[in-house]
Amino acid sequence: MNVATYPTRNLFRRRGRTILTLIAIALTVLIFNVLRTCDHGWQVGAEEAAKDRLATRHKVSITMQLPKRYIDDLRDPAKLPGIKAATWANWFGGKDPRERVPFFAAFAADHLSWFEVMDEMKVEPAALDAWKQTNNGAILGDVLAKTLGVKVGDDLTITSDIYPGDWKFKVVGIYMPLRKTADRNSMVFRWDYLNNKLHENPQSATPKDQIGWVMSRIDDPSKSAEISRSIDKMFDERDDQTVTMSERAFQLSFLGGASAIINAFKWVSLGILLIMLLILANTVAMSVRERTHEYGVLRAIGFSPRYVFNFIMGEAVLVALLGGLAGVLLTMVLINGVVGPFIEENMGAFFPYFRTPMHVFGLALIGAVVVGVISGVVPAIGASRRKVTDALRRVD
Amino acid sequence: MVPVRYNTRSLLVRKITTTLTAAGIALVVFVFAAAQMFGEGAKRAMLASGRADSVIILRKGSDAELSSGIGNDYKKLGDLPGVAQVAGVGAIGEIVIVITAELADGSGGISNVLVRGTPPEGLAFRPEVKIVSGRAPKPGTNEVIVGKAISGRFKGVGPGQSFELRRNRPLQVVGEFTAAGASYESEVWGDLDVIRKYLGRESVVSSVRVRLTDSSKFEAYRMAVEADKVFSVKAMRERDYYRKQSEGTQFLVYGFTGIAILFSLAAMLGAAITMNGAVANRTREIGTLRALGFSRGSILVSFVLEAMLLTLIGGTAGVVLVQILSLFSFRTMNFMTFSDVVITFQATPGIVIGALVFSAVMGLLGGLIPAIRASRVSPVEAMRG
Amino acid sequence: MSVSSVSSESNESSEPSAETKAKADPDGAYRPIPDADRVPPRALGGGIVKLTSIAKTFYRGKEPIHVLERLDLDVPEGSFEALMGPSGSGKSTLLNIIAGLDRPTSGTVHVAGADLTRMSDGELAKWRSQTIGFVFQSFNLIPVLTAAQNVELPLLLTPLSGADRKKRVATALRVVGLEDRMEHYPRQLSGGQEQRVAIARAIVNDPKIIVADEPTGDLDRKSADDVLTLMEKLNKELGKTIFMVTHDPAAAERAGVRRKLDKGALL
Repeated sequence: MNVATYPTRNLFRRRGRTILTLIAIALTVLIFNVLRTCDHGWQVGAEEAAKDRLATRHKVSITMQLPKRYIDDLRDPAKLPGIKAATWANWFGGKDPRERVPFFAAFAADHLSWFEVMDEMKVEPAALDAWKQTNNGAILGDVLAKTLGVKVGDDLTITSDIYPGDWKFKVVGIYMPLRKTADRNSMVFRWDYLNNKLHENPQSATPKDQIGWVMSRIDDPSKSAEISRSIDKMFDERDDQTVTMSERAFQLSFLGGASAIINAFKWVSLGILLIMLLILANTVAMSVRERTHEYGVLRAIGFSPRYVFNFIMGEAVLVALLGGLAGVLLTMVLINGVVGPFIEENMGAFFPYFRTPMHVFGLALIGAVVVGVISGVVPAIGASRRKVTDALRRVD
Repeated sequence: MVPVRYNTRSLLVRKITTTLTAAGIALVVFVFAAAQMFGEGAKRAMLASGRADSVIILRKGSDAELSSGIGNDYKKLGDLPGVAQVAGVGAIGEIVIVITAELADGSGGISNVLVRGTPPEGLAFRPEVKIVSGRAPKPGTNEVIVGKAISGRFKGVGPGQSFELRRNRPLQVVGEFTAAGASYESEVWGDLDVIRKYLGRESVVSSVRVRLTDSSKFEAYRMAVEADKVFSVKAMRERDYYRKQSEGTQFLVYGFTGIAILFSLAAMLGAAITMNGAVANRTREIGTLRALGFSRGSILVSFVLEAMLLTLIGGTAGVVLVQILSLFSFRTMNFMTFSDVVITFQATPGIVIGALVFSAVMGLLGGLIPAIRASRVSPVEAMRG
Repeated sequence: MSVSSVSSESNESSEPSAETKAKADPDGAYRPIPDADRVPPRALGGGIVKLTSIAKTFYRGKEPIHVLERLDLDVPEGSFEALMGPSGSGKSTLLNIIAGLDRPTSGTVHVAGADLTRMSDGELAKWRSQTIGFVFQSFNLIPVLTAAQNVELPLLLTPLSGADRKKRVATALRVVGLEDRMEHYPRQLSGGQEQRVAIARAIVNDPKIIVADEPTGDLDRKSADDVLTLMEKLNKELGKTIFMVTHDPAAAERAGVRRKLDKGALL
C-alpha cells in the first residue's frame, strides 16, 4: 500500500456513481472525437494535397470556364518555365438517375494526361489504352463502382445538373487510391467526348473548347507561389483572367463557404468538454462533501493539507483519464471500426476518409486530464483548507 | 399527496450540485434551441422568398437557377393563358451567376456571392423589395444593388463600392435593398442585358418567372409549359422551388439537433448522478417520509419531479441565454445554390416551449432510476442511526 | 473562574516493566521511534500534558462564546484520564487543544515536551503523527481500505520501508486481538471490531498519548467493554497516556483519573 492506494480505492466507494461518471466521460469523449473527426475529415483533402501541383481556375468563379488554348501556353516551357505537366477537367454535375448514390463527382478530363498528373489515383495501363480507344469511356473510383454496381466493360448512364438528357458511358477502368485519404467516389470521362457532344448541333449557342480548371505539376515545390503568379500574369491581359494557387489552397477554398459551420463545430466540441467538466466537477464536489469527516480524520492523524489536496486531485484526474481511455477505445471500435467505413462508402464524396486520427485521440486525452484537474481543484482547495475541527464536527 | 416542497427545498440546499447539473442542461438546451432557431430562420427566408402565385421555369433536369439555361425566346412563356401582366410584361427572364469574392473580415477566406441580372421590370415583379439606402440602379448601366444581409461582408460588395464581374467590367454598388427576409437579401442585383453582355452569354437566361392571375391556375399553366417539345423546361411554384432550395441548409439543422441530442445523453447521466447522490444521502429523510405515511408512488413521483425541476432550471437558463443569438446572423453556403446565404436566428414561442419540454424530458429520463431507488427505501431506514 | 484541577481517585501510573512490554511485542518489531526522529522536546517541568491558563473563545456572528476560561491542567505520564461533562461544556474543545488540533485563544500548551502554541500548522501535523493516537466516536476507518490498510495509514508518513510497515501493522492488530481480520473491510466488521481496529491504527506509530473522543458512544455494552479493556491494557502494559472524553459512566469508571468539565471549568 502507498499514498496512491487511497485515491485509487475511492473509485470503488460508490460503484454506481463511478460507473455513471465514467460512462458520461467516455460518451463526451466519443462525441468530441466525432466532432473533431468531421473537422479533420473536411480538411484532410487540403492537408494531403500534393505539394507539387497547382490549380488554375477562372478568376471570377469556379463556375466560369477558360478557353482550352490556355493549355498550350501552360505546356510551353518557353512561355512558362517550371511546369512539368498540365491537365484539365470540366465539372459535369453528374447524377445517378437511379439514385443509388446521393452525390458523386463526375468530370470530363483530358484522357491523355489526367491520371499522369493526378497520380494518387492508380489506373492499369491497359485501362488507359482502352480509354484511348473508347470515346465514351469512363474510369470510376472503386467505391463508386461498387455502389453503382458496375465493373469494367459495363455500360453506365447518368444525367447531369448542367447538361440536358441522358449520357451513356462505357466503364473502361477502375482507379485505386494510393493514399488512404484520396477520393474514391469520382467518375472521369473524356473531355473531347463532352466537347464534341455539346456541339453536335451546329446551331448550339454554347461556346466550344471550354475547360473548367487546370491542374499542373511543377518541378520545384518551393517555387509554387512564384510560378502561380507568372501563370496569372500571363493571362491577365486576356478576357478570361485566371487565378492560380497551390492544390492545398484550392482544396481549402471550397471550405470557405462552410467556414462558419466549421467554426461552429469547433465551438461545439469545446462545449462538450465543458459538459464533461460540469459532470465530473459535480461528481467530485459531491464525493468530497460526503467525506468531510474522513478528511478531518486524515488531517488529525497527521496528513498535511497538501496530502488532502493531492488525494482529491489524484482521484479526479484518475477518473477523467479512465473515462477518457474508455472513450478513446469506444471511438476506435465505433468510428474507425463501424461508422467510418459506412460513411466512406455512402458519403464518400464529402468524406472520402472518416477515421479518427491519432492526434485527435491525444487531444481528447489531454482534454480529459485538463478537465480532471479543473474539476478537482476547487473541491481540493476547499477540503485542504478546512479547519480540522470543523471537518471532524460533521458526521456525514 | 406528493411532498413537493420537500423536494424544492432540497434543491436549494444543495446549491453547488444543483448549479453544476443545471448548467450542463442549460448548455445542451442552448445548442438544441440554437439549431431550431437557425432552422426557423432558414424557413422564414424560404417562405418570404416564394409566392404561391408565382411560377419559376427552369431547364428540365436542372435543380437550381445556376445550372439552368433557357434560350431567348423565353418571352413566349409569358403569352400562355393564366399569366398576369406585371409592369406591362408577362415573363421575366433573369441570369444568375455565382462569383468568388473575398470575405471582408480580413481572414483571406473566400466564398461565393450570387449575382442576378434582372430586367427593368424585375424590381416591380417583387413588390416586397425595398431600397433601404442609396437608390435603385439605372437600367442599362453597370449599376447594382446589394441585399442587406450580405452587404459589407465581401470586399467590394457594399454601398459605394465596386467589384469586377470580369476583367475591365466593374459593377457599381449604388444601393442596398431588403426583401422582407427573403433569400434575395443575400444576392446582388443588376441589369440583365449588361450582365449577360459582360459574361458573353447574351443568348441565354438562367430562369424565367411569371405571375399567375390566380394561384389555382398553376396546374394548367405547368402542363402547357411542359408540353412544349421545343423548350424542354419544367415549371414549379416559386414556393416549392425555394422549399427545395432550403434543403441545402436543412441538413445543418438536423446535424446540430443530432449533436444536441447526443449532448443530452451526457447531461442526463449528469442528472442521474446528482439525483442518485441525493437519494443516497437522504435515505433517512426518505425513510421518515415513508414512516409518516407517504406511499412509494408518491416518493417516486416526487423525486421524478425534483429531477425535472432541476433540469427545467437549467433549461430555462439555456432558453434565456439563447435569445442572444437573435442578434446574430449566420453566413453559410447553401449547397443547392452554391452561393452564400445569410440566415438570422429566429426565436418563436414554439421553440421556447420545445426546449423546455426537452429539458423536462431529460429530467424525467435521468431521474427515473434514482427515483425508483428512492421509492424502495423502507420506513425502517428512518430509524437507522 | 480559576479552578485548579482536582483529581479524585488516581491510581499509580508507572512505566510498565520490560517484561510486560516484551510479552505484548514478542517480535520486538514494535520499536519506538528514536527520539532523533521526533520533534525535539523542550524540557519543562510538569506532566506529559501541562496546560496553563487556557482560554478558548468562539464567535457566533459578533457574539463571543467563552467555552474555556483560565483553565489549568496537569496530567502525569502514564495516566488514564476520563473527562466528563454535559453537552456544550467544552470537552471536545479541550481535547482538541491537547491533541494539537486547535489552538487556545490564550494560555500555554505543553504536551509531551512540545510547546504547541509556538508551532506552525505543519509542525503540529508532523508532531501529531508521531505523538498522538486518535480514536473518534464513529467513522474512524476508511471504508474502501482493509483493516490492515487502515492501520498502515499513519505509517505512510514515516520513512519506514514497506516490510517494516507490514510488521508494525501485524503487531498492532495482534495487540487489539484482530490479526485474523486483517484483510477485512470495515463493513465486514462489527462496531466493536471497527473501534478496535481504530485503536490499532492509533497505536501503530507508538504515540505517547492516545486521545479518544467518545470511543464507546456508538457501541453496545459488550463491545464497549471489550474496547475499554483494550484501553486499560494499552495503559497498563504499554504505558500509554490516555485522555478520554466520554458520556458513559461505565467508561469513566475504568479510567484511573476522572475529571468533570462544567461551563468551561474543570472540576
